[in-house]
Amino acid sequence: MAEFTLPKNSKVTKGKHHPAPQGARKIKTFKVYRYDPEIDANPRWDTYDVDVGACGPMVLDAILHIKNTVDPTLAIRRSCREGVCGSCSINLGGRNTLACTHAWSDVPGNQITISPLPHMPVIKDLVADLSLFFAQYESIEPWLHTDTPEPQKEWVQTPEDRGLVDGLYECILCACCSTACPSYWWNQEKYLGPAALLQAYRWLADSRDEARGERLDYLEDPFKLYRCHTIMNCAQVCPKGLNPAKAIASIKAMLVDRVV
Amino acid sequence: MSRSSLRTPLARARGLGSAHSGVGSFISERATSVALVPLTLWAVYAGIRLGQGGYDGAVAFLQSPLNAVMAALLVFVSALHMKMGMQVIIEDYIHLPRSKLPALLLNSGLCWLAAAIGVFSILKVALVGVGAH
Repeated sequence: MAEFTLPKNSKVTKGKHHPAPQGARKIKTFKVYRYDPEIDANPRWDTYDVDVGACGPMVLDAILHIKNTVDPTLAIRRSCREGVCGSCSINLGGRNTLACTHAWSDVPGNQITISPLPHMPVIKDLVADLSLFFAQYESIEPWLHTDTPEPQKEWVQTPEDRGLVDGLYECILCACCSTACPSYWWNQEKYLGPAALLQAYRWLADSRDEARGERLDYLEDPFKLYRCHTIMNCAQVCPKGLNPAKAIASIKAMLVDRVV
Repeated sequence: MSRSSLRTPLARARGLGSAHSGVGSFISERATSVALVPLTLWAVYAGIRLGQGGYDGAVAFLQSPLNAVMAALLVFVSALHMKMGMQVIIEDYIHLPRSKLPALLLNSGLCWLAAAIGVFSILKVALVGVGAH
């Protein structure tokens, strides 16, 4: 039957509290999900009273401040710290976002809750296992497919056709959308998820591509594509302001065009 | 989620490949939704009319060819739409093959049974009338 309870080792317990240092001026409390697979224990919520006056403006700055000055065991994945690489995606107060582009001052209340992306296996602390997510991206073959011999210079495209991939190519694969999608939570082994489908449409919309039929063949499946029920969480959370739900609707419209 | 397998992530992502179906269901879900708009409006009208004429009035109402066809369509399209809706819910939430397949078959069976009983009853009243055995 359906699963209504969390597995035993998923129940999050109360963890350690780290008080603010002496002389802290402005304090915010960060409640952070901690899980270490090397210790046979349930995950826990650790709380850190952070002197936000001593760190940068973004949530990532606060996390790195904790890691550098309070607790070096805290694990987070990050790279560019400017919303380009998509590494530092986390769940912030119940909403997926990038830690590097979200200011801690924009989080209401005095306590900021940070956990890894929901419904994904956790490698450690805030680092979710995205290997299936990236494999789903790979499965839609995100590169140009052509049979025509390659031109001497480049594949040409009108400015209008180039415009068709605007709002699609900007995706940074941070997985905020897919891991915010209930359909992806319940069926991620079979449903490709909004990020992979947005990218699938990015190649379907590309005027230079010659494999639209094969791409649609792969996508026409009750689970791979049609688990999207237009819930729209993907568009709500996308830190780049993209709309995967609209791209998925366009794929569905293409499939209808093919048969009527 | 199964994490015990050593299958590569790409093999997991590709799974059993594409079923190459779904667009038909997608169109049917929307077509039945659109069809149910006028049919439901007619159902409201029918409910008002049936409430006014008593038992004999109701029989006479269903013996009108237009009303009988509309009532049969309403029952049939509703059952079909209900079947597709329940199927999506089962596919979304039930993952064990041992419960999923029986649930899908039970859903189909009950919906087709409801449609058959409903349409037969309407046709019986419309064509044979009540009291005929």
